[in-house]
Amino acid sequence: MKKKALSLLLSTAMVASLAACGSETAPAGTDTQTADNTTATQTEAPAATETAETAETPAAAEDFTLETLNIVVDGTLTATVENGQDAFKAQWEAAVSEKLGHPVTLNINQLDHSDYSGTVSRLLTTGQPGDPDYPDALIMSATMLRQYQTTGLLWDMADAYANAEFQSRVTLPSVNENMKDSQGHLYGFAPTYGNGCVTYVKKSWLDAAGMSIDDIKTFDDYYAMLKAFAEKESGTYGVIAAGYGKLDEAPYINYMPEFWQGAYPSFYQKDGVWVDGFQEQATVDALARLAQAYADGIIDPDTEEAGTKQAREKFFSNDQSTSEGVFTYWAGTWLRTLTDNMAKQEVDNDLGDERLVQLAPIQEIKDTWGGYINREAPVWVITDDQDGSSAREQAIFDALLETMLDGDKVQTLWTYGAEDVHWSTKAESFTTNPDDPDKKKDYEYADGEFHLKQSPNDPNTVWKKNHLDPVLVIAPLTNGFVDSDELVQAGNKFFTENCVDAPAAASCDTLTENEATLVELKTTLMNQAVTGEITPEDAIAQYQAEVGDIAQQIVDELNAQ
Amino acid sequence: MSKKQNVATTSTGAPINKKSLSTRIKNNFGYYLMFLPVLVFVIIIYYWPMLGVRYSFYEYKLRNINWVGLKNFQTMFAKKEFWTAFSNTLQISITKLLITTFASVLVSVFLNEMHNMFAKKTLQTIIYLPHFMSWAVVAAIFQLFLSKSSTGFVNETLKSWGVLTTSIDFLHTKSMWRPIFYMINIWKETGWGTVIFLATLSGINPELYEAADIDGASRLQKIWYVTVPALMNTVIIVLILNLAKVLNLFESVFVLYNNRVFDVSDVISTYIYRQTFLTAIPDYGYTTAVGLFKSLVGCALVLICNWASKKIRGRGII
Repeated sequence: MKKKALSLLLSTAMVASLAACGSETAPAGTDTQTADNTTATQTEAPAATETAETAETPAAAEDFTLETLNIVVDGTLTATVENGQDAFKAQWEAAVSEKLGHPVTLNINQLDHSDYSGTVSRLLTTGQPGDPDYPDALIMSATMLRQYQTTGLLWDMADAYANAEFQSRVTLPSVNENMKDSQGHLYGFAPTYGNGCVTYVKKSWLDAAGMSIDDIKTFDDYYAMLKAFAEKESGTYGVIAAGYGKLDEAPYINYMPEFWQGAYPSFYQKDGVWVDGFQEQATVDALARLAQAYADGIIDPDTEEAGTKQAREKFFSNDQSTSEGVFTYWAGTWLRTLTDNMAKQEVDNDLGDERLVQLAPIQEIKDTWGGYINREAPVWVITDDQDGSSAREQAIFDALLETMLDGDKVQTLWTYGAEDVHWSTKAESFTTNPDDPDKKKDYEYADGEFHLKQSPNDPNTVWKKNHLDPVLVIAPLTNGFVDSDELVQAGNKFFTENCVDAPAAASCDTLTENEATLVELKTTLMNQAVTGEITPEDAIAQYQAEVGDIAQQIVDELNAQ
Repeated sequence: MSKKQNVATTSTGAPINKKSLSTRIKNNFGYYLMFLPVLVFVIIIYYWPMLGVRYSFYEYKLRNINWVGLKNFQTMFAKKEFWTAFSNTLQISITKLLITTFASVLVSVFLNEMHNMFAKKTLQTIIYLPHFMSWAVVAAIFQLFLSKSSTGFVNETLKSWGVLTTSIDFLHTKSMWRPIFYMINIWKETGWGTVIFLATLSGINPELYEAADIDGASRLQKIWYVTVPALMNTVIIVLILNLAKVLNLFESVFVLYNNRVFDVSDVISTYIYRQTFLTAIPDYGYTTAVGLFKSLVGCALVLICNWASKKIRGRGII
């Protein structure tokens, strides 16, 4: 009897613990169920967690009380969990609740930046509006937007955008107008313009080679500079990048623009007609230039496998004997970040903020594209619960996007972060690197003076920005808060003066279906051609043989749109 | 003529008085109750997810699920990439199995011949260690070690010795990828593989060696005529047991391959991974179909190995 009682007790405890585990993991563990039930439940229980008042007819945002807002973001929200996200979230909730007149809870799901599109795809596949993990709004690249805008998962925000309060302050209306499809639908909202990459050159390396940045005007000049850098020491190289070309993300050529010049290894519109740029002679020529540079030992071979982080870290590494002299990367804020990282690694300490110089587009780029490529802007999208009413979606727009560009409190949160955590207007003084006489820097601010504070997770650096770049934003702040970092301003000015808009990303069913295959094949062929395994001509011939029919079908579909 | 009956017996041959299931449950209610959570756990964790195999008959993109019958399998069999991955899986797995087993046997024999216990134990510890390193770490080490750039130890060393004039891109060269992959596997797994062979070696009757000594056998002859034959049964069992797992090749390939060597390195699991996780809007139906095919082939291999095991050692593996 005792044994039975004991076994009963143990069993009950185990079942209870199992049940407890099950109830905790149920939302994540019911993927197949959710997917299976999607069609049946979409009209039955839309946005279940957010309101009990889901209307079936078109309605205004007032018909819907948004209590919780789930957003999915990538690494561009720099106020990460380790970097004061709680304070950002709390201040956002307070400010937006005050604006809307009812409390709103913000849930931020910040995904791994490198696998962002894959994770988003899984979130949108396995969930539905109302699920705790399902995003109400999320960030998408221009490429992702093109892939998703025909799926019915995204809300057409054209009307909401047109009627938004911030319209009167928008200085760059073309950014979002250009994003509308041929029927005028707008599935993504870009609060900033795209930005792009410029070529940074280490000043000390230029000096050592007896060169001046102003003398680098053509590809030959550029190549001679790289060659000099590669010959600087036995382990040095001219240039590094995260791939010879980044063929999975528009604008594809921005990490090695001097080599790609007028080529565009994807589908783009040329004189009003869609073409497959990978099959063009310009791509063959670009691959030949890259192959020559690879054979000459000018391009760091780590380029092939390097991600952006690895390429960056090698560029500003404290071991400059295996580093590179040139790195093409994002303009503006990244000039400051790269410079600060070089300072951290004690590279070229004597040069201060002049460690890096920016190379103006070489003549061959000017003659083809006209300048560095300004990519299509990343956007915010709102998921559509497909209940026939826009009440929920309009409420999300009002809470998130309308307030994001309010010119004041909430826009400041998205631009600079949380008050008294990332920035302040209170009198204060602080010192970065207090223990290092070479790098020590004092900061002192008077009461009422806007300034950025020390980074929450690194008191030796000053905070730069949050999600919105104040220089790129389409509707500037009206409260006068301006980051006065001259280096960042100079970087942005340089890019703005030397950029052109990227071609619009292509979108059609066959492309979406075959994009992964095409990207994989093109990347393989590009790498093989650059490393001399095959000739550039063979690479294109192989591409035509393997996927030429699909490419033609895509071109035909695009031109028929 | 009496009918021959199958009567269950105990290990001593005494017949078991078999009662009905309900009686047995009633008599041992407590134990069955204790087993219940385990049964529930197994059903939920191992069997419930298997219901997902039905998606191999659907097109499953984002939230759109449409019945397509066998279309995913037709697509799969028509794709060159699939057959490349399938063929690579078998070639790489079987070669790796043979090479690492041979290396483990060789090292076991050498270790068995060592009489200095301190040296033997130290060596064993050293060769076991790589087994406990994760594949991600191993890949990072070897990629750095074999890199073509100026940070690559092997290339820089060979160049400084004058053996090479230009660096070799070891892991990006098709002809070199597999040999390097096998070498890394040998380095990582040989030590651990010796455990079972050393156990077998320790069980060899010393009288066999003494008899060989009396017959005037040399050391090599004793290895060849006593040690190796004694090991062969274990070698065959190890090979059979591992043969059932040949399709489960993912991590080691995933961390070491790259798109320039896909032709010789891509295996079914990495192919499924790329189709599922590196595609903007994946068709989970198609990738489930590939996974299902892999499982069916794996299942067939297990059954074949079970049959082979029964033939060789008198009992199966399942």
